[in-house]
Formats: sequence, C-alpha cells, structure tokens
Amino acid sequence: MDLEGKICSAISSGIMVLALASSLSAMPAHANDRLQAEPTNKKPNILLIVADDLGYSDLGSYGGEINTPELDKLAQEGVRFTDFYVSPTCSVTRAMLLSGTDNHVAGLGNMAELNAPNQIGKPGYEGVLNKRVVSVASVLRDNGYHTYMAGKWHLGLNPDEIPHARGFERDFSTLVGGGSHFDDAWNVEWQTPRMPYTEDGKPVDKLPEDFYSTKTYTDKMVQFIEEGRGDGNPFFAYLSYTAPHGPLHLPDDWLRRYKNRYDEGWDAIRQQRLARMQELSIVDEGVSTADRLYFLPRSTALTPAVRVMQGRKMELYAGMVEYMDDQIGRVFDYLKEIGEYDNTVVIFISDNGAEGNDLRAMVAGQVGSMGFLHAMNNFAEDAHNSLGRKGTYAEYGPAWAQVSMAPFRLFKGWTAEGGIRSPLIVSGPGVQGAGELNKQAVLHVMDIVPTALELAGIEHPATHEGREIAAVQGKSWAGMLAGSTESPRTSEDWLGWELFNNRAIRQGDWKISWLYRPFGIDDWQLFNLAEDPGEQFDLSDEFPQKMSELVALWDDYQERNGVIMGERSPFERSRKGLPDPVPEFDSYPPLRGLEAFPYEKLIEMMSGKAGAK
Amino acid sequence: MKKSRNKPTELLVGFALAAVFLSVHSPAFAVDDGARAYWKLRDGSHLTSVQYLFLDMQATDSQMFDPSHFIFPNSEAEASLFMASYAHHFTLFDRPSSMALNLLGGSADVDINTNLLPTQFLPPGVAAGASLSQSATGFGDPTVQLDVNLLGTPPLVSTVDLVNYEPTWTLDAAAMLAVPIGQYDDDKLINIGQNRFYGRLALPMKYHFGAFAPGYMTSIELTPSVWLFDENDDFLGRKLENDPLWQVEGHVTHDLTRNFFGSLDLLYRRGFQSEIDGDEVGDELEVGNLGLTLNYQVTDNVTIRSSYSSNLFGDSDLDNSVVRLQFVYGWHRLDENFKKLTKHGG
Repeated sequence: MDLEGKICSAISSGIMVLALASSLSAMPAHANDRLQAEPTNKKPNILLIVADDLGYSDLGSYGGEINTPELDKLAQEGVRFTDFYVSPTCSVTRAMLLSGTDNHVAGLGNMAELNAPNQIGKPGYEGVLNKRVVSVASVLRDNGYHTYMAGKWHLGLNPDEIPHARGFERDFSTLVGGGSHFDDAWNVEWQTPRMPYTEDGKPVDKLPEDFYSTKTYTDKMVQFIEEGRGDGNPFFAYLSYTAPHGPLHLPDDWLRRYKNRYDEGWDAIRQQRLARMQELSIVDEGVSTADRLYFLPRSTALTPAVRVMQGRKMELYAGMVEYMDDQIGRVFDYLKEIGEYDNTVVIFISDNGAEGNDLRAMVAGQVGSMGFLHAMNNFAEDAHNSLGRKGTYAEYGPAWAQVSMAPFRLFKGWTAEGGIRSPLIVSGPGVQGAGELNKQAVLHVMDIVPTALELAGIEHPATHEGREIAAVQGKSWAGMLAGSTESPRTSEDWLGWELFNNRAIRQGDWKISWLYRPFGIDDWQLFNLAEDPGEQFDLSDEFPQKMSELVALWDDYQERNGVIMGERSPFERSRKGLPDPVPEFDSYPPLRGLEAFPYEKLIEMMSGKAGAK
Repeated sequence: MKKSRNKPTELLVGFALAAVFLSVHSPAFAVDDGARAYWKLRDGSHLTSVQYLFLDMQATDSQMFDPSHFIFPNSEAEASLFMASYAHHFTLFDRPSSMALNLLGGSADVDINTNLLPTQFLPPGVAAGASLSQSATGFGDPTVQLDVNLLGTPPLVSTVDLVNYEPTWTLDAAAMLAVPIGQYDDDKLINIGQNRFYGRLALPMKYHFGAFAPGYMTSIELTPSVWLFDENDDFLGRKLENDPLWQVEGHVTHDLTRNFFGSLDLLYRRGFQSEIDGDEVGDELEVGNLGLTLNYQVTDNVTIRSSYSSNLFGDSDLDNSVVRLQFVYGWHRLDENFKKLTKHGG
C-alpha cells in the first residue's frame, strides 16, 4: 500500500473504531428501557446463544471487522467481558456449560472421538454428559421453565443421552460435532456418515425444505417459543449454532458478501483488529500480543493471487458469522414482538477458540481408508470458486484462526489462550452497566449454570432422579451482573484446564501452561497474562516460586477432578511435518520490507506483461 | 523422496489452467463458432487449433457450405475441409479481447442436376440435362476476427483477475473479415475460395449459472450475427450478389466432469438471397441445425472436441450434416514457467 493508501486505511479504520466506540458508549434508548423496566414477579427467560468455533476478536464489539450489528447492539445493551474461558474443544465445553462442573467430572474428560486407550471406560471419560451431573435444562424444567434447544448437542447419541432425555422438552438438534450445513447432512466422521438429527427426542428422517443449519435452528427456536408461550411460563432457550464451524458453507446469495475483503492478507487484518481492540480497551496498549505462528508465511510474502485464494476462505467464515448475527437478530425481533425481550437474559459465548487445525485432512484420512471414501462421497470438491457450496469442505486454516483469536496465541484444541478464551456478552433484566466492558472478572463457562439458576431463583439440586449429583464448580455471576461486585472470583481463586494432555492453570494474572512441542516445550511455562496475553515470555526462571505454587494447584486440579493423562494424544506428534521454530528478526532476511511495497504494484508484477518487464 | 508441494499454489495453477484451456478453441467459421467460443482467457494466452470438417448436403435450392459459399440449386455436395487456427487473447481498451486467424483448406465435390439449371449457367460443353460433377481443391479465404468484451468480464491480466473471475452475464462484440486470396477458378461452379470480401458482425452473449469452477460450469450462450457479402464479379463470367444472412447461434453447455463438458447446439440462418447479374436465383435460405458437442480436456494444454449437427427445421428441401473433430493446444507463458519450476526441480 502506498503512502496515500496507508493514510486512507488509517483514517478509515480510525473512523470505524470511533464509530464503534461511540456507539458502545452511547447507550440506545432500548437499552435504557431494558434496565429501567419495572421489576416483575415473573422469572426471567434465559436465552443462551453459543457460536461454534467463533474467534475472540470476530465480533464488531470485540474489534472485528465482520459486520455483526445484532450482537454489537446486544453489547450496547449489556456487558462484554474480556476474560471469559471455555475449553479448547466443543463437546468438552458443552459438558461444563450444561452441568456447571468440570469436564472430567461431567463425562467429557476427553472428546468421545479421541479418548486415549487408558481413558476409555473410566469415570469422567464416558464421552457423553454422564449421570453424575444434571443438566441445567433438567433443573429448570423441573422448576417450571420451558426448556428448548436448537442446534448442536455433541453430548451423546443414545436415547438416554440426547437433549430430550437431558431436560429439553422441545429440541431440534444435531447430535454430532460437525458436518454439512446443508440438507445433504454428511457428518465429518465416516463412522456416522450422516448427521443424526432429532426433533423432540425423535430421529428426523427428512430435514426441512431449504435447510441451512443456522436458519433452520433459528426457525425452530422461534417456533418452540411461540408454541410454548401460551401458559406464560418462562423459558430457557439453548440456541446452539453450528456456525462458523467448518465446513464453511453459505447460501448462494451470501457466498460473496465479503468479496475481496481479505485480500490484504492475515497480517494486515490482524493488525487492524489489534488497533481496534486497543481503541475499545479490550487489549491494553503496551502488552505483548502473540506473534504470527512461526511456520506461517507472512501474508505479504505470498503472491496476490494466493492471498486472494486464502482470503476467500476468510470471506466464507465472515459470511457465516454475519449470517448467524442476522439470524440472532430474528430471534431478538421475535422476542420484542411478543413482549418478552425485556424479560430475557441473553448470554452469548463461543464454545472454544477459532479452528486452526486441518480437520478436513484429519477426517479424510489416507487414500484407501474409510475416511477417504467418506470424503470421496461427500466433500471432494475443492475448486476455488466452488468453496462454500454443497460438496465442499473449506476451512480457513491456522493463519486466519490466529486473526480470529487476536491477540492470543494458538487456536482451538490447545490450552493456550487462543484455544480457551471466548467473547462473552450478557444482557437483560438485572444486568447493570449497559455498554460497559468488564476486564476485572475472570469467568468460566461452568459459571453459567449457577448464574442461570440464581437468576431463576432455583437451587442446584444435590440429587436428581435418585442419583447423587456432582457439585457445581462454577460461580454465579448474579451479584456481578447486578453491579454489587466486579467479579465472582477473588485473586486466590483459580481455574484449570486439561485436554489432550495439554494443560493450564490460571490464578489472578498468572498462568502456567504445558503444551506439546513445537507450540510448547513439553513442560510447564509461566506467563503473566496482564502484561503478556500473547503468552510470549516464559517467566518460569524469574518466578520459580510462582511456578511452584501454580503447579501445586495443577496437582490439586488433577486430583480433584479425576484427570487421567492419556497414553496417547492427537497432538503428541504436532512437530511432525512442521519446520523447527527459529527466532524471528525484523532485519533478517534482508529482503524484508516487502510490506511497504504497494499492493497494486504486486498485482501488476504478477501479471504476464509486467512480469515480462 | 517425494517433495511436498505448495498446495495453494497448485490450486492456483490448476484453476488458471482450467480457466485457460477447458473451453478453448478458436471459432470455426465454416460451420459455427461452437460452444464456449467466447469464454475469456487470460491476457497473453495463445491457442492453436486444427480441425477436420466433413459436410454433406443435398438441396433442391441454393445452398452453401458456409455463408460465404454459394452452391447452385439442385445439387449434392460434399466437402472435406481442414481448418488451422491461431488465437491470441489480450486486453484492448481495458477490455478482454481476442484476435483469431483461420486458414481453411480441403476439397469439395458437387453433383448438379442440370435440368433445372438456367442454360446461361451451363459450363461450356455441358448439355442441359446432362449430369455435371465438379470438384475443387485448395486453400480457402483466410479470415481474421476481432472479439472485444463489452460487459461482464473484467480484464484478465493477472492471476488475481483469474481467481476473482466469476462471470454471470457477458456481452461481446465481434467482427470478422475474409480476404479473397483463396483458391478460385472462374470456370467452376464450386470453389474453396470465394473471390469476394465477406465478413460478419456478431454480439456474442452468455449467462453462467452456479459456481464458475471446473466441474460445475453451466452456460447459456447466444450469438446473433449478420453476414455481409461483397459481390463476386467473376462467377462464371457473371456477377454474383447475396443479401445479408441473419444468424443466431445458441448453446447450452454443462460440465459433466472437471475435464469434460457437453453442449446442445443450435444454429439458425435466414436470408442470403442470391442474384446473378441482377436475377434472383433460388429462394431465400432458411435453415436450422441442432447438434451436440463433446469436449474433453486431455492435458493442461490439449483439448479434443467433436460435434455433430444436422438440419431439423427450416427449408424442407434441404438436408445437411456436419461432423467436426478438433484438436486445440493452448499455452500461457506463466503457466509453462510454473510447470518448469514445479515439475523440473524448481
């Protein structure tokens, strides 16, 4: 980009940030209405919206360039949180989301698909939401709530494990982790070639006409609420979108909604996001943010055409996010239409970090394998202009995932911040501080169960259907949302994670992290997240005492939750196929500086004529 | 050890090559332009083509091999023709354009019932009612055509342009001119060359459905055009004139696989009233052909096409059929260089 282009870009990005910042600080009239609504005796509805593999910085209200007006409006009416944690993968998060306790207790000590040999059959590793826990839907249903679910379940396939059996009186669910967003319904796993759907506990033989996951889930949720509202009882609605999980699919008229928006490449987009995040105070100035992963090329070193081709995948991802936002707006409009919006607490989260792994390659397997046959039958098409349509399986890869997870390191699957940090927006009756950004509270997905129950005035049961139920480990946000505290946790409280043998503990600003090479060192590292949210500087040598304290907490976590370290891990051979990491220097190699080369000139260079010159 | 390759780049080249050569051939003026004749290629693309055409006609009225060729009424004619073509794609006035050169050659035979032939047209020594057979061999009149896109296609200069290329509606303007330097014998009723300038003005248009990606592409193509003819001032010592010929060519094309497409073809022509020394000969022509084309991309560079068409409507006193077999070789400097770097140890 030439100087003029840089100036224009800076001005336009500045205008964008200012507009967003002013819109977040200028609370709309409706937000006032929500806060000032007269308290009623009616219990609040709870609308829990979960995006699938959405990145931390994708939403406009978190610094993203993706158009998400409905969620941005929700952020204006409610509160955003910077330090909200989930698990590195989806079913693990969902187990905690619905049970309020640790995944190793709730049955998803590991993903069902990836249990290590020594974990299979062990308590906490059932691969389904086990009977040691009760789902929040069951508790709410037992206390007079309507309970609805639309979208992804991924917590069990058997009749006693599906949503209808775990507390949802109405549901339209896909039981598995991912697959086609269209009516061809292929599953990513060949073992279950078609995605099993259930409606109200019964298998769905035929998907609705014009099925597209995000639209149909929205249709169903609106239908459930409409059909159940006659008795005036409150509802708990779990709207569990499968977007923007791969394969990146979109209806035809949305395919090019972000046409050429990402041709600049991942580095430029990430820098723009970081600038906006700083303007929005989501990222503090002066802190260290994650470097581009060492094995990824800087985007300016790629030919313009390859940048366009890579950018097309991000276009699809952005389109899926905006489409989801648009559908969420439909739900909000409907709730306003029936007069329930102001009595509905809305919680919006993602289930894990953005997807940077090549799941397509993993599921397609090797030539001759069943996975490969499955891919041949269902998602072999990969031509550039066909991406996003039926029969394709596009993912946007680690470079864009890092953009989605800015300012953090890594992405889905890893216990680095890039795998476990999620946006969180809470809005509704009793939520104080419209438009505010809470940076003090360290929150966890396990907190949602006690929060929902406290907002509904319900105690978590010690037993359910004659079974003893594991205690909730999450902490209710009710006091924090009401403005009485800044955080439900003290500086002594801590959080723990383990998945695929990668593990972490956070206490206050400190975090220890154990990651497989090459992204970790096969050993513990210590980071200060306040100064180093990008987890760039291992402080274990400087603060050995802190390191020891946190490792002791890890031992406590492992003991308390029955964590079994797997004999095998999908990430144990992450080094394979990757080059050795080497330090980066701005001045080396000496030909760097290509970033300053005008983009238009690069395009010209790539043309036949200019190339000949 | 097998080297791993840069997948994005491979995809890129695969796309570029597909865009360049899937549909490639140069317009075949002797019969029609053919399916996907006006699909746009990257600036700097070159195409060469050879094709064999076998034409067979029986008519009780004036007839022709192609719009330039006048054949006397009440005749049977066969022609075996070869056409060599070269086309180059470039950008003209910031519009994707192409220039095509065509050279025709071969032989033609005609059998004429002289009973109905006006006596003044009988060749010397041929009595009325006698059977008359003539043949001609040699080169035809070379043609040159310029095609410029008017709407729907951006300049296709860089790889970025190709990657971003997803046409829907497109509209071109094309002009063709034949130069009368081919074989011509003023004693014969039939010749390969025509001894007159002629040309065509066309407005090729098309609409693309669905993904513009190999294996997915579908199009409807329509090319209305008009042929204009100078007079032949030495047709058996007389002056031959023809009215303009109005023509509509249509195709519905669809990818059957990434490398294979088929097309249903339509060619409708009307006009071409002939006059010799100011006297009308025969009637105005009206003929409609339907046909089928199959096109197979053999390699990144080579495409084979075959087609067949026959008249199914129009004048009832006419039968014709056309069989075509065409080989196309296309290349672009960058694609060839890419192959050098990736296949030969780069």
